[in-house]
Amino acid sequence: MSRLGKHMNELSLFAAIVLLYIIFGLTADGFLSFYNQTNILRDAATIGIAAWAATLIIIAGDIDVSTGPMVAFISVILAYLIQWGVPTVGAFVLAIVLGGLLGSIAGVLRAYFDVPSFVATLGLWSALRGLSLYFTDALPVSIGRNDIVDMLDRPIFGLPPAAIIMIVLFAVFWFVSKRTAFGRSVFAVGGNAQAAFLSGINVRRIRVTIFVLAGMMAAISGMLLLARLGSGNATAASGLEFDVIAAVVVGGTALSGGRGSMLGTLLGVLVITLIGNGLILLGINAFIQEVVRGIIIVAAVLANIYAIKRGAAKKG
Amino acid sequence: MKHPIPKDRPVIARLEGCTKRYPGVLALDSADFELREGQVRALLGKNGAGKSTLIRLLTGAEEPDTGTVTIDDTPLSASGAQRAAEAYGHGVRVVYQELSLVPDMSVAENLFLGRWPGRGGMIDMTALHQEAREALDSLGLDIDPDQPVSSLSPAERQLVEIARVLPGKPRMVILDEPTSSLADAEARKVLAAVDRISAAGIAVVYVSHRMNEIRQIADSVTVMRDGRIIETVDVEGADTQEIVRLMLGASGKEHAAVVPAQPGPEILRVDALSVHPKIADVSFSLRAGQVLGIAGLLGSGRTEILEAIMGVRPASGGSVSVDGKPISGRHFRKMKGLGFGFTPESRKDAGIVPLLGVDENTIATDWSSVTRSGVLQPGLIAEATRRVIERLHVKTARTDSAISTLSGGNQQKVVIGRWVHAGSRVLLLDEPTRGVDVEAKAQIYQIVRELAAEGKAVLFVSSEIEELPLVCDRVLVLREGRIAEEMAAPDIHQDAIFAACLASDAA
Repeated sequence: MSRLGKHMNELSLFAAIVLLYIIFGLTADGFLSFYNQTNILRDAATIGIAAWAATLIIIAGDIDVSTGPMVAFISVILAYLIQWGVPTVGAFVLAIVLGGLLGSIAGVLRAYFDVPSFVATLGLWSALRGLSLYFTDALPVSIGRNDIVDMLDRPIFGLPPAAIIMIVLFAVFWFVSKRTAFGRSVFAVGGNAQAAFLSGINVRRIRVTIFVLAGMMAAISGMLLLARLGSGNATAASGLEFDVIAAVVVGGTALSGGRGSMLGTLLGVLVITLIGNGLILLGINAFIQEVVRGIIIVAAVLANIYAIKRGAAKKG
Repeated sequence: MKHPIPKDRPVIARLEGCTKRYPGVLALDSADFELREGQVRALLGKNGAGKSTLIRLLTGAEEPDTGTVTIDDTPLSASGAQRAAEAYGHGVRVVYQELSLVPDMSVAENLFLGRWPGRGGMIDMTALHQEAREALDSLGLDIDPDQPVSSLSPAERQLVEIARVLPGKPRMVILDEPTSSLADAEARKVLAAVDRISAAGIAVVYVSHRMNEIRQIADSVTVMRDGRIIETVDVEGADTQEIVRLMLGASGKEHAAVVPAQPGPEILRVDALSVHPKIADVSFSLRAGQVLGIAGLLGSGRTEILEAIMGVRPASGGSVSVDGKPISGRHFRKMKGLGFGFTPESRKDAGIVPLLGVDENTIATDWSSVTRSGVLQPGLIAEATRRVIERLHVKTARTDSAISTLSGGNQQKVVIGRWVHAGSRVLLLDEPTRGVDVEAKAQIYQIVRELAAEGKAVLFVSSEIEELPLVCDRVLVLREGRIAEEMAAPDIHQDAIFAACLASDAA
């Protein structure tokens, strides 16, 4: 395949983004305003940070559906930690450790006990949502004034900190996926786990690590959620896991594993976020928004499958 | 051997001036091809010679760029998916190399997969059983139609695949290397089935690399090379050397037998190794610079020995020593750390990562040598890959070409090469020449000898008995899980190995 053909997926997504900008720019009032653009970036961060880790998981041939409840649970625990007077930075560190530990539960179940990752993370999804509701009685856990937390929601040079964190993490994950033995091993495990094992790649460790990373990313999303809402919230981030998976898949990563890219996911995140944002600005009925979103996601993936098939047919 | 089919038999398939071009490759160059009723035509050629393209044109899976494909006096005219349906309607059937059965369904259900007899969505189990019985009987197979496919041996599965194409009046059956994964004794059952098919007047196209098989069942051979049909000859009176020469073009050369060198110190010692229930009491030693062959029929436990040494499969008894020290608690990475490398029997399932490049498939065994402070260095990766490519004569356009675009032989060289990259001193090669063309086989033999000459120790498992005398310093013959015989170069002979493999098999 030519160099251009290799990036067909990214190019067509980029074209889709341009198209969305033109459509919403012309039809939705205020879509192009600076304020709305920073909003888009902040919304993108909610999906994006989790999506970077989810991309690795899906490339490895696994899936993680526990994202939403994990983010909410960690925002609740963080809020309690801060209420109890744990220094904020310390609480952040603890939250990231907790996220990693929770992720490792799914990872260990997957890697050492052969529990399908869908089932392992579905269990986490249910248990974490339940725990946070039980701890909080479904009420927000307020943290009052907290300079450090507030800082996370105060624009820096006009940019929301969430967006900056998202971009920095993107760069890290992009680099890891392309230029480290760990990142390339993820592709090998997803492409043929047996061959990876017989090359001496520590398949189990790779599998645990990607779920630990996903937990840590959920923790960071949990912090940003806390900063945005000013409270820990057991019911927040509902359905986030599906936005994340949709973004990764729209970005061209194969659910069957072995194939995918961080750049694709970045563009997928933007597509999902733009659709959400534009439909709201257009004032379309909230329920119909969901319908439109569903159709667009399936259509995007369908177009991608078609493109891949055509590419494969050409190769013979 | 079959006599030539009379020229007055009706023609079933005909290609006229067919050319097919893929980006960058002329896959088929104005090919003419004709097949008559009841004929068994062997299709011979190295990987990439154009056999698959020819088959795809016959089955309607592809359209030729120019030229016509005529089946049963009707030129195929449809395009896309319709074309394959059209060819199918004219009675074209294919049995593919990759098995396509559903393991947990019964033989009968598999035979009529998706076309089960019955009405209104209800399957008529009696009719299903009966029709399956008929299809199996017509091939002379003693297989219970109600038994699940997962309980069948590989040969039986292949036979079920063949039986599957029989219902619905086939006119032409194409078999793509149906015996490549079978040991000789089992392959015979498949050949008998092919004989029955052609006796029923069905034309057969038979792709194979095994000359003695071709002599047994085919009446004529079409030899292909570089996308062209070189010649079609009657098997009767054709000389094997001549056919090999047609296939290889100018490059066909004889390979010298092994001259045993002075072996180095003992590296691996296996004592009374058992893997219940396959292997009992197997002992041998392997020295640096030696190639030790393990021969035996399919299922004789060859793979189990390698896997038990590598710790991939638990041993039920015995010990494995490396450099004189017994190694307990073996697992794959531990053995790798001791300098062991292992290439699996199934290249596709366990050898390659198809979506990744040649480079990453090579360096997967050792990332550290191409990493500087945790960061992979594209320059070092390309360099390390190029070293392996040159060393092992891998034919690839670029170091980062997807490995799935390489021929089977070249893929296998990469799988071996990754252990050269890792600097392994003991190589355990499980069927390294399976499904590989003649030229690549010769290259693999040479590579193995070169590695041994550098002081590496090699365990070479093979069911292609004729290759063992070309590669091995010593050969162990495995029968019913035990070592039945041991031979040393220069006294390693195919017929002796073959006899030892079979000896008490009749019991």
